[in-house]
Amino acid sequence: MRAFHRSVVVLAALAISAGTVVAQPKKAPAPPAGGDAEPEIEIDPAADAPPAGGDEIDMGAEPGPGDLDADMAAADAANANAVKAGPAVRTPLSWKDILVVVRKPFLKARRTELLPMVGTSVNDNMVRHYSVGGQLSYYLTDVLAIGVEGQYYRPSFREPFDLVARQARRLPTINTLKWSAALNFNYVPVYGKFAVLDKRLITWEVAFTAGIGAGQSEVEERDKKFPGFTNLLIMPNVGASMRFFLAKWLTVQVGIRDYVFLDKFEPTDRSPTMNATADEAKSNADTALINNVMFQIGVSFWLPTSFEYTTFR
Amino acid sequence: MKKHTFLVVAALLAAEAANFGAGIPEAHADRRQNSLANDVAVRHRRLLVRGRFELAPLFESTINADFRHIIGGGAKLEYHLGDMLSFGVVGVFGTALNTGLVKKIEPTLEDAADPATREPSRDEFMTRLNSMPIHGAGYVSITPWYGKLAAFSQAYLAFDFYFQAGVAYAQLKSDCPASVCNDPSPGMSSGPDGMTPPDNNPNNDDPLNSGSRLGLYIGGGIHVFMNDFIALDLTIRDYAFTDNPSGADFNANLAVTKDDARFMHHLFFGMGVSIMFPTTVKRTP
Repeated sequence: MRAFHRSVVVLAALAISAGTVVAQPKKAPAPPAGGDAEPEIEIDPAADAPPAGGDEIDMGAEPGPGDLDADMAAADAANANAVKAGPAVRTPLSWKDILVVVRKPFLKARRTELLPMVGTSVNDNMVRHYSVGGQLSYYLTDVLAIGVEGQYYRPSFREPFDLVARQARRLPTINTLKWSAALNFNYVPVYGKFAVLDKRLITWEVAFTAGIGAGQSEVEERDKKFPGFTNLLIMPNVGASMRFFLAKWLTVQVGIRDYVFLDKFEPTDRSPTMNATADEAKSNADTALINNVMFQIGVSFWLPTSFEYTTFR
Repeated sequence: MKKHTFLVVAALLAAEAANFGAGIPEAHADRRQNSLANDVAVRHRRLLVRGRFELAPLFESTINADFRHIIGGGAKLEYHLGDMLSFGVVGVFGTALNTGLVKKIEPTLEDAADPATREPSRDEFMTRLNSMPIHGAGYVSITPWYGKLAAFSQAYLAFDFYFQAGVAYAQLKSDCPASVCNDPSPGMSSGPDGMTPPDNNPNNDDPLNSGSRLGLYIGGGIHVFMNDFIALDLTIRDYAFTDNPSGADFNANLAVTKDDARFMHHLFFGMGVSIMFPTTVKRTP
């Protein structure tokens, strides 16, 4: 019976002590005793102070035997000291010299961006063009991409279109856009991050775009008795856009693009005897340089949907 | 005996194991989640706007005006109560430039009015257009986003986005001389006992598009800080109030009346240089 009580007490004490030790917060590890332990560098505020003994830097405990990496590192350090020549340069080192650079949270190199987008013209007070389209871009590097885009346009006449006819008794001469396509080059010179309501960080960037493409416009006939005509346009474009990163595969993009082209407009003098046919009217059309500035917004999907960092953190 | 010993030991171990399992979340909570979870988004942040006055000389130009572009210069004065809330005023003196639409219409109009048509003469069309010599707003501003950017991997700049709303004011002006706008009673009978019927010609009516206007103001923009106290300030502003820019008959009742004015948006692009006072900044912990 006495032996029984002693066994119970001993086992209970062992169990309680073991559980208590495990449940406690982790204490600072003891110096490695065995050969399998990794050498550790202690981030100690006292380590910022220069060592009192001289120029040596204390990198922590000596590695135990059997650690190949530590042995090679020690051998390299010894060799470096052995071949050191010339005047010694004292370089104060401390943890404060290590700059923490956050990795870019989104990598684009060798990824494809599919951007469905909608847009509206912003600089024409007679007709507003709404567009729907898309852009497919391949990023050669993290800042440089090549892509193709296509857009389909729908016009909407604005208030001055009617006012000019009603108040000034003049019929406006306008063309509407039908479609456009372009080959674009994108360059990303600006990136940054911002805090929303001091709670959440969002990364964004600014991209510049330049491209060359083609499109089609159509004359809005002032008098429906006379046929209109269409124009095939050479359309270079330049623009800038902002991209907001929401996920590794999802971004939101808003931007401004200026499509520049020479357009042909319906001649003002059309009658049964003059510029009556579409070909005649087109050959005598008035030409003007047009800047069609579009505001565009879209959601980008990225392929592959994820990426891996190739550099150390 | 052995059986009893085993049962007691097993019960003790089970009880301790239960305590061990329950203790994990509390004991190791600090190892799985550090203080960053409840921290602010940015520490050691320069308080570039909080508690500072902002004085910004600025330039403004209309965006996509119908008949007359308004360009001008002015200033913005704003006080930032905190990082996100501020209030201020903006005022601009402007001059008017004819748009491309006006330049296309004007040469096609006749020099003299033709009473047989409702087509305005050149003077009737041009002198009725109004301009905006003064405009401005008082507003409350919210700055929900702030951050920093790297330009060409060389320049690292702080910036913030802001949105404003308030009351707009505009002084409108048109100069239709009495020789052109000479209808004494637009749209109404006149003369002794009202025996003279309306002339049904809106082109000689007073345009009624001068004077002061109050309306709504909304805006949004970005500060890009060049240093601790100077920032580039880019803004889109919308001054919305009742207006009739052409001064002509809008509702087709053959007379220019107050009913021809409608609530219109006047979009401006503004660019200024903001100077913050005091010029030194504090940092968050």
